[in-house]
Amino acid sequence: MDDTLSREEEVFDAARKLEDPAERGAYLDRACDDDPKLRERVEALLSIHSHAEELFTECFSALRSSADNPESPAAERDLARGGEEEQPGAQIGHYKILQKIGEGGCGAVYTAEQEKPMRRLVALKVIKLGMDTRAVIARFDAERQALAMMDHPNIAKVLDAGATHTGRPYFVMELVRGTRITDYCDQNQLDTRDRLELFIQICNAIQHAHQKGIIHRDIKPSNIIVTLHDGLPVPKVIDFGIAKATEAPLTDKTLLTLQNQLIGTPAYMSPEQAATGGLDIDTRSDIYSLGVLLYELLTGKTPFDSKTLLQSGLDEMRRTLRDEEPQRPSALLTVLAGSDLTTTAARRHAEPPRLIALMRGDLDWIVMKALEKERARRYETANGLAMDIKRYLTNEPVMARPPSRTYRLQKLVRRNKVVFIATAAVSAALIAGLGTSTWLFLQEREARQRAVAAEHQQIRLTQDAERARSNEAKLRLQAEARERITQAEVLVSQGRFDEADKMIREVSPMGPSVEHAAVLRSLSEWHALQSRWTQAVDRFGLLLQVNQLDGWDQSSLDFLGCGVCLIESGAADHYDGFRQAGLFRFASTTNAVGAERIVKISLLESPDTTRIESLAPLARLAAESFATVDSHDTEASFRAAWGSVSLALWEYRQGHYAESIVWARRCLAFPDYNAPRAATAHLELALALSQTGQRDESLRELSQARQSIESKFNEGLEPGSAAQGFWFDWVFARILLREASE
Amino acid sequence: MNEITQILLSPQGVGCDSEELMPLVYNDLRRMAAARMASEAQGQTLQPTALVHDAWLRMFGNGERRWQNRGHFFGEATEAMRRILIERARRKSRLKHGQGWVRLDIDELSLAEATPDDKVLLINEALEHLEAEDPERAKVVVMKFFGGLTNQEVAKILGVAERTVERQWAYAKAWLFQNIREQI
Repeated sequence: MDDTLSREEEVFDAARKLEDPAERGAYLDRACDDDPKLRERVEALLSIHSHAEELFTECFSALRSSADNPESPAAERDLARGGEEEQPGAQIGHYKILQKIGEGGCGAVYTAEQEKPMRRLVALKVIKLGMDTRAVIARFDAERQALAMMDHPNIAKVLDAGATHTGRPYFVMELVRGTRITDYCDQNQLDTRDRLELFIQICNAIQHAHQKGIIHRDIKPSNIIVTLHDGLPVPKVIDFGIAKATEAPLTDKTLLTLQNQLIGTPAYMSPEQAATGGLDIDTRSDIYSLGVLLYELLTGKTPFDSKTLLQSGLDEMRRTLRDEEPQRPSALLTVLAGSDLTTTAARRHAEPPRLIALMRGDLDWIVMKALEKERARRYETANGLAMDIKRYLTNEPVMARPPSRTYRLQKLVRRNKVVFIATAAVSAALIAGLGTSTWLFLQEREARQRAVAAEHQQIRLTQDAERARSNEAKLRLQAEARERITQAEVLVSQGRFDEADKMIREVSPMGPSVEHAAVLRSLSEWHALQSRWTQAVDRFGLLLQVNQLDGWDQSSLDFLGCGVCLIESGAADHYDGFRQAGLFRFASTTNAVGAERIVKISLLESPDTTRIESLAPLARLAAESFATVDSHDTEASFRAAWGSVSLALWEYRQGHYAESIVWARRCLAFPDYNAPRAATAHLELALALSQTGQRDESLRELSQARQSIESKFNEGLEPGSAAQGFWFDWVFARILLREASE
Repeated sequence: MNEITQILLSPQGVGCDSEELMPLVYNDLRRMAAARMASEAQGQTLQPTALVHDAWLRMFGNGERRWQNRGHFFGEATEAMRRILIERARRKSRLKHGQGWVRLDIDELSLAEATPDDKVLLINEALEHLEAEDPERAKVVVMKFFGGLTNQEVAKILGVAERTVERQWAYAKAWLFQNIREQI
């Protein structure tokens, strides 16, 4: 601290407390004995002391009243009505205001003339809400470079941002004259096909932005303007970058504001956007909003009613967006009141029954896939959504699928999400490296602890990754990866596997993804069918890291496929890690079929005793479930027959040969026939009978199995089906045949 | 000692990040703001939340922050409140005097004619001078005047005697007033 000031302060402080002038004078004489300058300064301060106190008291009150009612809506409105309103002719920055062309919830839009560096007309949007201007502009500046990189005919560029002289943020945009998309479509009675064509253009624009690392965050009809170019409608997406810059935390208060302004943003908000207030958002949030827009273009309504959402309050709104399944478009139209439906149909140039029929099926599923609560289930990219619509328009099969029965069962998983994610993370940690050639080989005793550590690590990594998502560079990479997945998916659907394989080779797993899993599954199978086992193992390794959303049925089949490829590739040292991963994924399963599959694939090669012990709970579950079966229930019989194959192997690996024989014979006794399953059962009999000294019988079983298996592989392996057996069921049998032949 | 200072002072607390602190800090800021406004507000309805909310944005708008200790934290918090209040005063002052005022033109102003908002701006300018000369005392002024903290609170935060705060505050007020007078 400055010594002079300190001394001055000390003397001043003592002196100001001495009210009697004589006493004060005497004190100053003493204190400033040898320093006349000090005395002079202190006396000056003392002379203004009371004025200073007055001033500060007054200002304190001024500040208090400023803080008291800082930016009340009333004050805001007064400001807006009064001298604050931008008048034609006024100058804002380089721009001269010409006329007001619109007034939205959060601001007014004007046409303006830019003078420098070039003369042109622009749209200028002044944000009205009481916002922290500096923060808004700083956020905009952060994204300015990325915004400048956007160049797309369906995107209106945001050119500039700044503060008006009254301290409000404004944005300058390319001037777009036209009608908001929903109005345009209704006024011109566009039919569904024309609406879809327009929508595809919007998807292309969003895709372009995503590849530049920009998320729109506020896709809704009022932000998509249709203009006419040579008589053709061209949709333009406006307001890029503005939502992010002006984003305020979502609170009940902002909800109230939205409500007063009668703008329906919450209706277009993805569940994760509503839940986290914009903290955890990636490109798939825009996909959701696109889904809402598509829904509205098709049916005239949003999946959830804006007003209801707004009035229900923040928590209820979040719950609705998170938990409630919206009606399919066709279902919504069906329950519309008669007159409503007639109007809706007329605006789409269609008869009501025809419109409903048109929606049902593909369009329903396309919309619902975009609107999935779980973003990993949505289309990976805007492009993917656009391509599916194109496929619909050209009568090709679409990628979106109705939820299957197993899928609906999956939804139960959501309720147990924490456990589910934790186990998925462990599996991922265990499996990590499979695709890149190194398996995690875990020592038996340490496995648990290390898995737990891995789980924590994984969760932390996931959190970190989520946090970093807002980072544009990362977003760009992700957008690129997603685009590759989408393109690979299309290539796969066209049977162009080698191109798809090249396309997806560089894509590293970004967490669970239905699309990514589907592509990897097809490619794993493609390699396996060509006996390229190492490549198949690589793709399977990645698949097991992203297939968590596919449910026990599909993912246990994925384990079966992966297991046989692993053994065929000769990577025996990785087999144990693989078994461990399967066990972790299914450790808490209550599903006997999943359990029996994991038991079977874990025992294809002879394990040590500790491994057998760890499988015991799964085997017990299967044994209890398949011990008694209603023979009239064909599905139950089918499952029990497969279960018996697994249990025969389970008993055999423990040296319980008699029990093994019982299960294998039981399998063969089921009325339905499945070739690879029967072959496997015969092999199990051959193995067990040989151990119990019944050599002739064993050889008979062996030759029966060999015949079946060799003829299958001679005629060529096919993907197969559940009823006939899959390719990996045959490979499984062939591996067991080698063991039995020794 | 309150919860947030406890965290800030704990060994792990050094460098702990804003997300963890958020709820605690928010409460504390609100309390700070309320304290300031309640101190001289009899029978008035006070809404400190808006002010705190702005202060919060100032501090957290740029992503994650780390504070070394409570002094650092409260220093920034009150600084943020200062910036908000000054911005508002400027805006109001501009409205009153007409547009185009970027910075208060002191030459055209006598203290007697100035509005309270103008005066706040004058104090702020003088405070900038004090900051240049003696940042430590300037900090006390920010906490007292803009942050509305009591002597006792400032003393705790800065780890000095309450008496010292009182002395510094009294002296600073006179110093600032003199500085304003010299400039007008």
